Amino acid sequence: MNLQIDTFAYTNRLRRLPPESKLLFAIVLLLITYFSTILVQCLIAAWIGIWIIIYAKIPASVYLRLLSVPIVFWLTSLPAFVISFTPLQDLVTITQDAAYGITVFSHFAYISHQGIDQSVRLLSQTIASTSCLYFVLLTVPFTDILQTLRRIGFPVLLTELLLLMYRFIFVLLQIAHELWTAQLCRGGYRTWKLSMNSLGLLIGQLLQRTLDHYHRISQSLESRGGAGEFRVWHSRQYHLPDRYRLESLFGCVTLIGLTGWAYVHGI
Amino acid sequence: MFMEFENVNYTYRGSRVPALQNLTLRIPTGKRCALIGQNGCGKTTLFLLANGLYQPQKGTIRWHDRPLRYDRSSLMQLRQQVGLVFQDPEQQLVASTVEEDISYGLYNLGLPTHEVARRVQQALIEFKLTELAGTPVHHLSLGQKKRVAIADVMVLRPQLLLLDEPTAYLDPRQTRNLLKLLDDIQTTGTTVFIATHDLDFVYCWADWVMVMDQGQLVMEGTPQSVFAQRQIMEDLELGIPTLLELLAKLSDPENDNYAYDQSAIGIEKLQRQILKSLKCL
Repeated sequence: MNLQIDTFAYTNRLRRLPPESKLLFAIVLLLITYFSTILVQCLIAAWIGIWIIIYAKIPASVYLRLLSVPIVFWLTSLPAFVISFTPLQDLVTITQDAAYGITVFSHFAYISHQGIDQSVRLLSQTIASTSCLYFVLLTVPFTDILQTLRRIGFPVLLTELLLLMYRFIFVLLQIAHELWTAQLCRGGYRTWKLSMNSLGLLIGQLLQRTLDHYHRISQSLESRGGAGEFRVWHSRQYHLPDRYRLESLFGCVTLIGLTGWAYVHGI
Repeated sequence: MFMEFENVNYTYRGSRVPALQNLTLRIPTGKRCALIGQNGCGKTTLFLLANGLYQPQKGTIRWHDRPLRYDRSSLMQLRQQVGLVFQDPEQQLVASTVEEDISYGLYNLGLPTHEVARRVQQALIEFKLTELAGTPVHHLSLGQKKRVAIADVMVLRPQLLLLDEPTAYLDPRQTRNLLKLLDDIQTTGTTVFIATHDLDFVYCWADWVMVMDQGQLVMEGTPQSVFAQRQIMEDLELGIPTLLELLAKLSDPENDNYAYDQSAIGIEKLQRQILKSLKCL
């Protein structure tokens, strides 16, 4: 049982780039998306798309499917943004804003220009910022993130907790998957009622097994001499080719420049 | 004497049946020791006690003629000298990549980083894990996980290595590789003590066998002498290795009193074949 994103993080072409550089790159771009215009946000999204699909060699279908997640969220919130209601007597105040409207009893429902504008802005911002996040998720393995956190002086307790959580997410997923398969084999999900029943059993079992697992893990940690601090060693060596260094530097400067230009001209 | 259990009792909380009952047992130095017995006969409990994870409620456990002490530093020392490989590698692997996992125990020993690095690299080579060094633990196959689990413990250079059912869930090829690995470990001077159900494995590998039943040591000796006690082995419902079964059948073809387990049919087939080819000679 593997999480696909995690597998990509370990096998992508940008694996050997220093994690600090990748994280910094993503953070800088994320900051730019907050302060920039739609045009720059679209550029960022496209540029990261190139990094992820072409440089890191993550299959485009996988990346697009991941991107569809925030888009679905955006779609669900779209009606709330775009459709507005107003009492009929206040109709005069919104004639400028309404693109199309109908009367519903004593109210007037209309699609607002402002709402459309706002939702487009939201879409570009969402895509740009989630693609920054995906860049980190897809190209930086979790261990590297932890290593970086340790280096910059993140509290040891938290990094250890994160490490153990990360390790046991997979154990838990595996147990859940095995239980679920076993239930499926025995027809546990044939009807809605049975499904609910099986799911309840599954959750109960998961809790019990988690506790059991916790007990055994603490036993093995103790057996391996676990004494408070959780320290590990790795031999990974990172290298940042000039080509990537220059491209990211040049790109970021251009994007910041564009954002500044847009501010000056008030766009 | 190496490790010694004397009249040890252990009962799990909430259980009425003791897991170990007045157990007296000695693990001899330098031998390939195997421990057999039915599920629930107390093998795992014995290992957990030997590793200082549990304390006996009665009796004493001695390591190098000294009773075990349960303060932090003595336990630390004991666990470096007595390595325990759990049955389920999932239980043992805690870090996120192979090399990180191997380094975990070394840091716990308090070794400096350069020494840790040296030993990890050495272990990666010894256990043929070099290519997997950076692989996340959850991407490994079960056989590989087992290998990593053994490397985790062996990197601490223990004098006694305890393995709980090491062949469980392994396919024949992985089992063969494991046997080879255990041989290598044995030649470096580590005493290997294995709890297992696999009698054929015991017959091929061990040179000292202990049989446990209901928390007690019933019998011990060389594989030949232990498995010669057919009646006792049958009473314990453990049986004897297939090879010996066949040998007995061949030496006394008329006697089929002891055709009791599933391998009996296979053995009869083999017996007929062997007798046939003998006649051809």
